[in-house]
Amino acid sequence: MRTGVFFCQTQDNRNLNIDSIAKYSANLPDVETVQILRTKPIPKIDFICEQIKSNSLERIVLAGDMPGYFKPVFTKAVALTGGNTNEIRLASFQEHGAKGENAMDRAKAIGACATMGVPFPLAAVPGGNPVNHATLIIGGGIAGIQAALEIANAGKQVYLVEQTGTIGGHMAMFDKTFPTLDCAACILTPKMVSVGQHEMIRLLTKSNVIAVSGKPGSYRVKIRQKARYVDVKSCVACNICAEVCPVKVKSEFDAGISLRKAIYIPFPQAVPNAYLVDETSCTYILSEGKKCGACMKKCPKECINLNETDKIIDIEVGNIILATGYEFLDVSKIEQYGYGVYPNVLTSIEFERITNASGTTGGRIVTKTKVLDKKSGKEEWIFSPEGIPPKNVALIHCVGSRNKKYNPYCSRVCCMYSLKFAHLIKEKVPNVNVYEFYIDMRAFGKGYEEFAERIKQEGTFVVRGHSASVAMNNGQMVVRGEDIFNDRLVEFKVDMVVLAVGLVPSGGTEEISRMLGVQRDTDGWFSELDYNGSPTDTDKGGIYVAGMCQAPKDIPDTVAQASAVAAGVLRSLTSGKGIGHMSSLSLSEIESRAKKIHAI
Amino acid sequence: MAIRVNPTFIDDLDRFGAEDVQLCYQCGDCSTVCPHADDMYKFPRKSMRFLQMGLEQKIETTLEPWLCYYCGQCSEQCPREADPGETMMSLRRWLIARYDLTGIAHKFFKSRPIEILTILIVAFLTSGFLLYYGFSGGNLNIYDGEGAFLPSRFIHSFDLTVGSILLIFLITNAIHMWYLVMLKGTNFRVPWWIYIKQIYQLPWHFLTQKRYSECEKKHEHPVFMPWLIHLGLMLGYVTMLILVMVFIEQLQAGPEIRWSVHIFGYMATIGLLTGTFYFIRNRLRKNYVQYKKSHGTDWVFVILLFYIVLTGILQHVFHRTGLNASANITYVLHLMGVVPWLLRMPFCKWSHLIYRPLAMYFAEIRRDAFARQELIIQSVPVLIK
Repeated sequence: MRTGVFFCQTQDNRNLNIDSIAKYSANLPDVETVQILRTKPIPKIDFICEQIKSNSLERIVLAGDMPGYFKPVFTKAVALTGGNTNEIRLASFQEHGAKGENAMDRAKAIGACATMGVPFPLAAVPGGNPVNHATLIIGGGIAGIQAALEIANAGKQVYLVEQTGTIGGHMAMFDKTFPTLDCAACILTPKMVSVGQHEMIRLLTKSNVIAVSGKPGSYRVKIRQKARYVDVKSCVACNICAEVCPVKVKSEFDAGISLRKAIYIPFPQAVPNAYLVDETSCTYILSEGKKCGACMKKCPKECINLNETDKIIDIEVGNIILATGYEFLDVSKIEQYGYGVYPNVLTSIEFERITNASGTTGGRIVTKTKVLDKKSGKEEWIFSPEGIPPKNVALIHCVGSRNKKYNPYCSRVCCMYSLKFAHLIKEKVPNVNVYEFYIDMRAFGKGYEEFAERIKQEGTFVVRGHSASVAMNNGQMVVRGEDIFNDRLVEFKVDMVVLAVGLVPSGGTEEISRMLGVQRDTDGWFSELDYNGSPTDTDKGGIYVAGMCQAPKDIPDTVAQASAVAAGVLRSLTSGKGIGHMSSLSLSEIESRAKKIHAI
Repeated sequence: MAIRVNPTFIDDLDRFGAEDVQLCYQCGDCSTVCPHADDMYKFPRKSMRFLQMGLEQKIETTLEPWLCYYCGQCSEQCPREADPGETMMSLRRWLIARYDLTGIAHKFFKSRPIEILTILIVAFLTSGFLLYYGFSGGNLNIYDGEGAFLPSRFIHSFDLTVGSILLIFLITNAIHMWYLVMLKGTNFRVPWWIYIKQIYQLPWHFLTQKRYSECEKKHEHPVFMPWLIHLGLMLGYVTMLILVMVFIEQLQAGPEIRWSVHIFGYMATIGLLTGTFYFIRNRLRKNYVQYKKSHGTDWVFVILLFYIVLTGILQHVFHRTGLNASANITYVLHLMGVVPWLLRMPFCKWSHLIYRPLAMYFAEIRRDAFARQELIIQSVPVLIK
């Protein structure tokens, strides 16, 4: 088949030397012409038609970072000259991961596969290593839980490593899920319990992966399990220890809006359902056994041991699933919203905790009240169930997201959860005005657009236009914005502002990527192998990504991706073919495989 | 009224300095933080939108660019780094070119070589003329009085000639602006007496530049407030212009200092010197948003002004110390800067001296007339059912 290769670069890619790839592809069989179209505007149809005719081309290969961008014009040209438009092959360097150490060889292989008409993922299958049947999952959020259950239910051993004292992650903190307004805990907690009770899942809470060695199929992983100071098996969560504990610190689970003791259980449904001690605040541990120790004396089951030490666990696994999740952007650095200055400016997760029935206000949406701290004599703003409900609430979208100074990307969930907040406020507080300031309404999922319409009909003032300033005017918060659709500048007096804060990769992402050699993109999320074709694999064999750690996504997508990861893991376990690093594949290997497939 | 869309408008504006307009995604942050945006004049977002849509005919009738003093808050805030402040600045440049009927301003803004070449040509023509005049009838060693190299009476008539050329251009441009803004761009009736009622706006904004002081970011400029500096520069310039145009003979007389005239000259010089020094320094240091991007015309502007002030001071000093020959030479050098400067004024940034107060005046007229218009609409009862 007479083939013409066209290199269409939209921008300069410094990793790739296009000239040398072009020279390589000129030597491939059946290649008649190789041309480099570097120009920014799309090439003219006449020119392409002329090329096709003069070389009597039957197949056209478009190579480049985004060749799909040029496809329409080539399709037209092929159709005009009477060729088969199915024979336009795309050799997308970006899509098939031509980056990193052997980007050039990969790009050449991608070009070669396209010239032969062989799909690249078919030809490039690393393999060869035998696979250990145990799987390690890093992160115990909804993604980790879902993947663990899928794999364990198939009868394979799973190690689930979680950094905090309980699994559940961020989803356990949420009140409702959008757009169905289901109770998040009702979906999550049964799954958590089955993880805790599953015989094939070994749950390692308060643990961190500290070292990984070995090759694909048999990774040796070193895990440090921090001391919990409470025996998980004998603890019955009676709360007597927490009653006597004198130390009070901010609760992580409540997003810092309420206080917990140094010995605590994150939330009543925690799995494992046992107390744990925060070693950074416990008086006994900080004083090295000289002070306090009240909980040890009081515990009726005698399961507290404050002299426990960290454990190092060595395990061997075949596959590793990364489900490390996300964090919220530090919004206090975006000064114009006054977070941390004005008491009633809340982040989304703080609002989620006050609207949650298990939260500190028992699900009542109230503004903060001023109380006098008796010990320090300072005035503090705290949430209490007796607080005054707000009369006007402003919800501001895109705080730190889609902003070149903070996160250039869209955090994808903020629009929808802000709409959900609007609904919850309208539902729980009578006669309340809710103002939503948005730039673009990203209601992209099933039932999302309908949800957005419903919120608008419920009487929420949806203002198209971003608010950039929250100010305090004589004790009254004022939110300014531009109502673009109605062509006016607006100024609302509000009692509460909820900021839809952008999402960033969780703190340990960088360390894990260094440990495992998994690449991260410019925003810090883990890079998948192929955005469209294999969104759960990484370029390292036997290492997968699931959930938010790959890119921001909502709960349905996270669960779907976690299940997809489980399918990938089980495929490697049952096929018996083994797995390898994508980067270990050499150009000649891919080429010979492609030739084989081509011959068939 | 149908509006013609100019799809390449945004590319044309590239040469005037607005490079990143296409990045804007219409969030409205800039309008929110702008201290001058109000319900009648919403900017910069709306101007950005007009630009993106290529509504050249709409832009040329707007006043918004003149109401902006470029404090830079919008550019600091912009999540897309689309630089709305610089866009408003470029729109002002474009409007100056638009108001100019000769098309010279357009050429000056687009091409630096043409601008500099024109300035040089005018400068050398001036010097040639002056030297010819001086050597034909005067003595290089006599500064004033009988047989002077450049008698102040001659300079006076020379100044008036240049000044009247300048004035003709400025007046036609101002009338063109009035036509575009008040006739073409105002789609409601403006009663004639509102023009008289609001006339106080002109001297008020011209002499105080109050709006500039309103957009002051005081925490950023602790000592050198740009409003004060700008006001000093402007007042110094106007004082100097009046002195040169009207009182040139007293200004140039005798080696002794005539305090009744010269005190004004000295004060004006202080204003001009601090102003030019401040703006050159800031443009070099680029420490504030508004000085980060300097269009070529900005540099020509400040450097030429600095040169004029410097030669003016030297000329004055040489004259007072009796170095008549040096004084005459520096005087020629000084006029070599002044004449192109004055002739260039209607085609460059300096013409905002006229356009800004006019824009405030027109804006207030429009606002007043529009409020009346609304009143009429409201007074008509609307039957719904």
